[in-house]
Amino acid sequence: MNEKDENTKIWAVNGSATESQENEDFASTTTVEMDRDRLPGEIPITLRAYFEILRSDGKNEIIDLGDRERVIGRSPRCDIYLSSESVSRQHARLTFRSEEYFIEDLNSTNGLYVNGIKIEKCVLRNNDQIEIGRVKILFHEEKTLQKR
Amino acid sequence: MTSPNNDKTLITFWGTRGSVSTPGRITEKYGGNTPCVTLCHQDTTVILDAGTGIRNLGIELVQGADTETHPLSLHLFLSHTHWDHIQGLPFFQPAYLENTHLTIYGSPKKERFLASVLKDQMDYEYFPVAMSSLTADIRIQEISEEVIQLGPIRIDWQEQVYHPGGSVRYRFHINGKRIVYATDIELDQLFCETDTSEKRESLCREYLGFIHNADLLIADGMYTEEEYPDKRGWGHSSIPILIHVASQAHVKQLAVFHHDPQHSDTFLDDLWVKNRLKYRSASHYMVVFWAREGLTLSI
Repeated sequence: MNEKDENTKIWAVNGSATESQENEDFASTTTVEMDRDRLPGEIPITLRAYFEILRSDGKNEIIDLGDRERVIGRSPRCDIYLSSESVSRQHARLTFRSEEYFIEDLNSTNGLYVNGIKIEKCVLRNNDQIEIGRVKILFHEEKTLQKR
Repeated sequence: MTSPNNDKTLITFWGTRGSVSTPGRITEKYGGNTPCVTLCHQDTTVILDAGTGIRNLGIELVQGADTETHPLSLHLFLSHTHWDHIQGLPFFQPAYLENTHLTIYGSPKKERFLASVLKDQMDYEYFPVAMSSLTADIRIQEISEEVIQLGPIRIDWQEQVYHPGGSVRYRFHINGKRIVYATDIELDQLFCETDTSEKRESLCREYLGFIHNADLLIADGMYTEEEYPDKRGWGHSSIPILIHVASQAHVKQLAVFHHDPQHSDTFLDDLWVKNRLKYRSASHYMVVFWAREGLTLSI
């Protein structure tokens, strides 16, 4: 149909003609008016993210991540220090932006892997497995409702 | 946006979902935005498709960048003009900056002009801002050359059949590496052995030659083997045939792309766990992964 027929209020997609119809009842239909003051206030959510560094002896280490930038590497100056020859001095960077964590390779020798894929940069999601050299880390993210 | 250093080529997935955007908690890992991928090498930025993922790319390009003194120069290659591949364009911030140079490339073999299709998407009935209001310097080019050279990047392309209305696949040659973007094609039909016609066999050879030895293949793998029979003729591939064909063509790394809107993160993770040995048992060693929004690889 190229021109709008003023008498036709309902159009059939398949091209078959439809009866003209005005739904007079529609205008009189209303929804229940809601009082804005009665709407629930903002729901406070707490985001907790942490690394679980997997150790061969089973004594895994937990590191809470917070929201500041962190450099991960073999240098003792790194925010997250990993004592392994397979890890570069400054191996990766973790940033927090728009409520998301990103991990980025810092031109490391052995590369950065997320879930087995060699990556340059990646937004992290719950249960992602990160490999930095031979060190394996699980990323965990929990959102909990604050008690009011 | 991660800036490319030295001779690395960075590939970033901004949208990996097929057909329609699927926001929500169950798709946050692999992403809910429709197709958009960037390929950055030195100063050249190539964008593949303008699905809803291009919106976040636009924000990233503009944020923190001094676009006054360093105007953006971008090259957008469209596989085709179905909604999920163009719908983000009206929300692409750099298109509203006067000094942005944006060249849009697409198939020359369509009945309607590419410029007209894109303009119509922004018709007042569908969107309040007309295409003529995009203040960037926008050139829309139906590809006429067999090979396009953008600085250090050489690009060749082929028309794809076995998708309603057709689509285009692109191959990028950079420093001896090959990256292929070949979405929206039904490989199950192309490689259907019951059709013994010479034409189909020639198309198969053409496809295999195009993706041969690719360092990265980003390709349509929308359905599982079980789902495919109900989706025959819809123009998308099942994952097993994609993996089989890519392996046969000695692809090194395969990003399974254009995820079905019904496939949640859990579904895709379970599918991987269930089939990972099968995916790896192909004769040629190939890294296979689900394309994931927010992921940057270097080739």
